[in-house]
Amino acid sequence: MENQKFYYDNKIVKLFVLATIIWGVVGVIVGLLIALQLAFPVFNFDFEYTTFGRMRPLHTNAIIFAFVGNAIFAGVYYSLQKLLKARMFNDVLSKIHFWGWQLIIVLAAVTFALGISTSKEYAELEWPIDILITLVWVVFGWNMIGTIVKRRVQHIYAAIWWYLATFLGVAMLHVVNSLELPISLTKSYSIYAGAQDAVVQWWYGHNAVAFFLTTPFLGLMYYYLPKAANRPIYSYKLSIIHFWSLIFLYMWAGPHHLLYQALPDWAQALGVTFSIMLIAPSWGGMINGLLTLRGAWDRVRDNASLKFMVVAVTAYGMSTFEGPMMSLKFVNQLTHFTDWTIAHVHIAGMGWNAGLVFGMLYWMIPKLFRTKLFSEKLANLHFWIATLAILIYAIPLYWAAVTQWLMWHEYTAEGFLAYPNFLETLTQILPMYTVRIIGGTLFLIGFLIMVYNLFKTMKSGSVEDNELAEAPALVIQGRRNPLQETVHRWVERRGVRFSIWVFIVLAIGGAAEILPMIFIKSNIPTIESVLPYTPLELEGRDIYVSEGCHTCHSQVVRPFRWETDRYGEYSKIGEFVYDHPYQWGSRRTGPDLARAGYVGGPMYKNAAWHYNHFKNPQKMNEQSIMPKYDWFARKDVDLSMTPKKIRAMQILGVPYPEGYDEVAVDDYMKQAKEIVADLKKSNIDIEPTKEMVAMIAYMHKLGGDIAPLQLDEGTKEPAPQKEITLLSGVEDMGDADEVFTKICAACHGPSGKGIATFPDLTDAQWINGNSPSDVYYSIRNGNAVKGMIPYKDQLSDKQIIQLTSYILLKLNK
Amino acid sequence: MAKEIKDTDRYDENLMDHDYDGIQELDNPPPRWIMAIFYITIAFAIIYGAYYFWLGVGDSQDAEYARKSARHDQEYQIKSVSGNELALLTDAADIAEGKAIFKDMNCFACHGTNGEGNAIGPNLIDDYWLHGCEFADVFNVIKNGEPLKGMTAFKGQLSDEKIQKVGSYIVSLKGSNPANAKAPQGDRCE
Repeated sequence: MENQKFYYDNKIVKLFVLATIIWGVVGVIVGLLIALQLAFPVFNFDFEYTTFGRMRPLHTNAIIFAFVGNAIFAGVYYSLQKLLKARMFNDVLSKIHFWGWQLIIVLAAVTFALGISTSKEYAELEWPIDILITLVWVVFGWNMIGTIVKRRVQHIYAAIWWYLATFLGVAMLHVVNSLELPISLTKSYSIYAGAQDAVVQWWYGHNAVAFFLTTPFLGLMYYYLPKAANRPIYSYKLSIIHFWSLIFLYMWAGPHHLLYQALPDWAQALGVTFSIMLIAPSWGGMINGLLTLRGAWDRVRDNASLKFMVVAVTAYGMSTFEGPMMSLKFVNQLTHFTDWTIAHVHIAGMGWNAGLVFGMLYWMIPKLFRTKLFSEKLANLHFWIATLAILIYAIPLYWAAVTQWLMWHEYTAEGFLAYPNFLETLTQILPMYTVRIIGGTLFLIGFLIMVYNLFKTMKSGSVEDNELAEAPALVIQGRRNPLQETVHRWVERRGVRFSIWVFIVLAIGGAAEILPMIFIKSNIPTIESVLPYTPLELEGRDIYVSEGCHTCHSQVVRPFRWETDRYGEYSKIGEFVYDHPYQWGSRRTGPDLARAGYVGGPMYKNAAWHYNHFKNPQKMNEQSIMPKYDWFARKDVDLSMTPKKIRAMQILGVPYPEGYDEVAVDDYMKQAKEIVADLKKSNIDIEPTKEMVAMIAYMHKLGGDIAPLQLDEGTKEPAPQKEITLLSGVEDMGDADEVFTKICAACHGPSGKGIATFPDLTDAQWINGNSPSDVYYSIRNGNAVKGMIPYKDQLSDKQIIQLTSYILLKLNK
Repeated sequence: MAKEIKDTDRYDENLMDHDYDGIQELDNPPPRWIMAIFYITIAFAIIYGAYYFWLGVGDSQDAEYARKSARHDQEYQIKSVSGNELALLTDAADIAEGKAIFKDMNCFACHGTNGEGNAIGPNLIDDYWLHGCEFADVFNVIKNGEPLKGMTAFKGQLSDEKIQKVGSYIVSLKGSNPANAKAPQGDRCE
């Protein structure tokens, strides 16, 4: 058969390689910055645009999507053409893919620094950029599948199975997780709320790890490892088994990020069991890689590229054993919210991902530039520095995690928390944070050595932008002959069919977990006393979201005695039904805030405390590492957006009364002025429109809705309720009318219809019950959490009974 | 391509006719132990589900908390101070301990390093008290807090004994006349 001539597109590979190197350096430097910030808060520079809360997403996104992302594309564009004996499907698509992706990265860096963020981990970008990602990703997939279709090789090799799973998996994850309701170019609300949002987010978050950091890298391993070692793949059968089992099982494991949190037990159990079942499929990849090196270990000794690959595969094996162990509930109570997770992801990120990228680059760049590596010695130096860096980075963090966890749950002999002040447990581990910086610095030094080595290599050679190659045309084979061809071998030559099967296998896990959370009501038991955010609280929440407060403060109390003693009652699913998006967080560098608004609880602080603390945390707690947020006192909330936000919330199902958007700003100012007046008592002057006021209102909303105020032990037991006989005399009604107008009308309106969020007394809905004694006690004892004042000291018993009668007989006919 | 590969005799008897850009594949079965791990983890998942759901042996998350919390209460019988024991301590050692607690619990953030008070909390050094004149009142405010005014309840963090000590330290500050003392608040106590 005659050979066809064609040209490999090497230029696009070169572009992706350069982007990988440049963004890699940026990502590591930002990582170093946030490591410095944690040990020495002065590195927040008292500057709004460089706080930890804004820089941390910049680091994670730069590493995952900029460094690793470009590396994937470089690796895929190089290997795909060679494996399929075809040029990329379309040069224009290649260019759109490359430049589109770089544009996304630049937009990400700018918007994060500006505080434009959805706060969903690894999906913090706002909706216009989300759409751009979708488009560029589709271009990537289109280009890849197009190339598969016009290939000159009968069967699709294992590496490409992983590339396909990557494309399809990420497409599905990104679209479903990013469904959000825009209210302006820079702000949107997740359509999911609370526990639903958490399940969707960690289905995404966990599988971003799977389909951005694992599957593409297994694909790269299946190409570059056998190429660099010049050895055949150890087991074709193992390739098949671990591919299908891994992509199926991974999608179910997301809830292991939410163990012991406000999530139904069944969903948590799926997270645990599927994570455990992932051990063997993950290790399948590791051992197929390591066994492929049989007979080539002598070359590993002096070849830096292979050494990096071996460390990468080993780190992968370690992480994929550690991950399932961390998913066991009793282990998770230690590893979650501590630095264990941070150490875990850096073993995987620096070992597996960066290691494989380094190995790939040391092998590929000399090939691409038709030259030899500038210095094998420097490459080996890089290897040893990087390996040492990983250890110096991770070991202190494991140590920190165990230390902090032990302190969190230690009790004194008297039965009190040994370290009730959260800060003590943080101060204790700061020295380990300092050591971690050494690890990060070493990693950067190694990286820079590689950059020098690779640029020297590039200079000594040149890329042939269009490299001539030839291969016979593909002859499409017909039906499967069951005697000569297995089903899998048959599917391997049917690219589109193969993709459809992958998609189906991927879709099952997410559907099985997300759909019940949305459509089966019993999974989200509602709590009647939980009310929507007032406009002021909502604006405060939006500031909390945009500043990335969740990067240090969780908002979910787990059902452990040592957490309920420290923070208050553990979190319930129904408390989060108005949270678009949820804010549970995943690391406690600062204390949990789920009960910051629970009056009388251990976390409650008054307005003046919050004011001073936001302005200068070190003034309140000398050793605090929180950045100063003094611009909260300077910057105004944009009130023109408030009605829009209320309407958006209504569309998402938050039960504000109809037309509430029109009075939202009035309500905003009313509540803000109360806080301003409260602050005034402590001689603090501030205008009601400042961000500070909204933040204080939000802090005071958190977790306070679940139970009425309990001021002391005595009122914990409900007092025996006395029977109330209603007074219906004309005189009683007259007296009551007078009192009502004077006192009650301010909040409940002159005719009891209610004002804004204060309840209507004329309808059939009652927050605290509508029996005569319920109403009597509501007036008498109030409901401090909701703002209802107790009137027992201001009104006589008779007056309260008169009012009760007036409300029940006259207003609520 | 196959010619380039060395060690063929030792390892590669199962070479298949697959060739992708020079990459070949062997027809080895997956190692038995990895398959064993796979089956064991699947069995674990089934047993886990049975234990917690189908057989209903394992506790739900809420039940687990209730059980462990009850055990905790049993383990630590918290001693309370009441009646005649609830008196002002004047022993220097107790006062010194009270002072240490004052610092450890960050009381100074709101009441000043020497109890002079600041923008947030009242001073603790004069005859004027917001919540009552008796030592029992001081004790009570520390224990149960005045949440709406910003005073934290310390009952979950300090034993009654420690509250008694820090309360005694505070009372001992009377007349100490630190710099920058805040103006008196509350009622004068004789």
